[in-house]
Amino acid sequence: MSANGSPVVRVDHVSRWFGSVVAVSDVTFDIEPGITGLLGPNGAGKTTLLRMMTGLADVSDGTVTLFGEPVRDNPPLYGRLGVMSEHETVYPFMKGRDFVRMMGHLRGVADLGAATEKAIALVDLAAAAHLPLGTYSRGMRQRMRLAATLVHDPEVLILDEPLNGADPRQRAHFQDLLHRLAAEGRTIVISSHILEEVEQLAETVLLIINGKLAASGGFRAIRAALDKRPYHVRVVADRPRELAAAVVGLDSVDAVNVDPDGAIIVLSRKVRDLQVELPRLAQAASITLLRVEPLDDSLESVFGYLVEG
Amino acid sequence: MTVDSIFLLTLRQLSGRWRLGIMTVLAALPVLFTALVVRSDSAPWVTEFEAIVLSTMIAGSIAPLIVVAIASAAFANEVEDRTLANLTLAPIPRWQIMLPKLGASVTTAGPFIAISAFLTSYLAFNHDMTAVLAVTVSALAGLLMYSAVFVWLGLVTRQAIGVGLLYIVLWEGFFSRFVSGIRFLSIRYYSLALMHGLDPRRFVDDPHVGLGVAVAVSVGVCVLFGVLSTRRLRRMDVP
Repeated sequence: MSANGSPVVRVDHVSRWFGSVVAVSDVTFDIEPGITGLLGPNGAGKTTLLRMMTGLADVSDGTVTLFGEPVRDNPPLYGRLGVMSEHETVYPFMKGRDFVRMMGHLRGVADLGAATEKAIALVDLAAAAHLPLGTYSRGMRQRMRLAATLVHDPEVLILDEPLNGADPRQRAHFQDLLHRLAAEGRTIVISSHILEEVEQLAETVLLIINGKLAASGGFRAIRAALDKRPYHVRVVADRPRELAAAVVGLDSVDAVNVDPDGAIIVLSRKVRDLQVELPRLAQAASITLLRVEPLDDSLESVFGYLVEG
Repeated sequence: MTVDSIFLLTLRQLSGRWRLGIMTVLAALPVLFTALVVRSDSAPWVTEFEAIVLSTMIAGSIAPLIVVAIASAAFANEVEDRTLANLTLAPIPRWQIMLPKLGASVTTAGPFIAISAFLTSYLAFNHDMTAVLAVTVSALAGLLMYSAVFVWLGLVTRQAIGVGLLYIVLWEGFFSRFVSGIRFLSIRYYSLALMHGLDPRRFVDDPHVGLGVAVAVSVGVCVLFGVLSTRRLRRMDVP
């Protein structure tokens, strides 16, 4: 909660469409201090949502506020915000230290020299700070961009896929750094399409699927909630009627229908169990499975994040 | 002031070797052309020289071409490589981003246009400093107006160079010459009016607005497109 009683970030019935394409649809949530993970597959609308939360993009409908103030076209507010976009482009001719210094200067940092060195030390890149950014590896660029994001000591950090290109050691360092920053009372929003990243970093998760907020809350609660949802799975086999008769007896299956085209539509609340049991059953009955697929995008996402994850 | 950071950054971004090389070639063209014709036996009349070199080459082609290559890139490069957010997420008024970008464009293109106009008129008018000053100042006024327009253009379209070239060829080069009334909406027209105002011997046969009007319109164009660029920065979705 901010000083004026408002949530640090409030996204209220926000939608964004591009022509006939709806990128974000009627999303509402509040974000408080600590680390919040924005989880979802590529193309789910995470980046569009983050860009609206930073004021870089306008909303088509709804409102986004930061500390109770509209974030769009509100430059004074940007001094309290640190943003690291997913785009890794840097000024290749500029030395790392000069880049961080320039970003601090643009954000009105008083003791620029000390703030620059502190931010560079935080990302453990002092040894390379004198080199042009164009000579950096991908991971180094990301770390120096993070230093530039931190140089003005922002209260809110919005980081879009910040671990792209980081090696395991850098990931561990980054996670440790974010935990320290969160412990100091900052509000950190981090987006990722990788479940493990969010699981290790965030206390609260916002699950975005097809531009909608599919679930929010603690990581384990979300996982449990998703596991309880029934999903439709389409199964194509060489002997569909025999498979349907056998499948209906599985614990993981709630209902079975056979389509006129011969495909079986299985309703299941235990998709992970179904994934294991179905091939075993088919093998035991000498039935060939030709195709197993989720029938809606959300299920595809759940397969991607929960089953594979 | 944060303005100096953005000015220096933009200056560095606009100073690519290829871009400066092309600018040098463009700026040298009217000088070389003038050096050749004034030495030939069939040197053009003053009115022919004014129409071909001062109006068509410098005011209507070379100056806008140099400026479109530089000013349209002031923002367009950062929109393209998605680094503009580094600036727009700074807690500063949007005019403090627009103004140094415009200043850097003028600073980069200015020397090419000023030296080209100065040397061309110096050779053509036999060291007559009134004429040289009029040509150079009017070219610089054109530079300011074109810069304001093309900086804005770089913010509103990702095809700023292409649209800018069409504007130069069709509007400044064709319609404003041959369609009566349109010249009043041409930067070239006010640039030449300034030249005539500073040296009444230039373009004596052409209709002109007064010097005061030409100055006022020149300032007005710069302010209008400066405001439009600032407004665009406030309202655009920054990639």
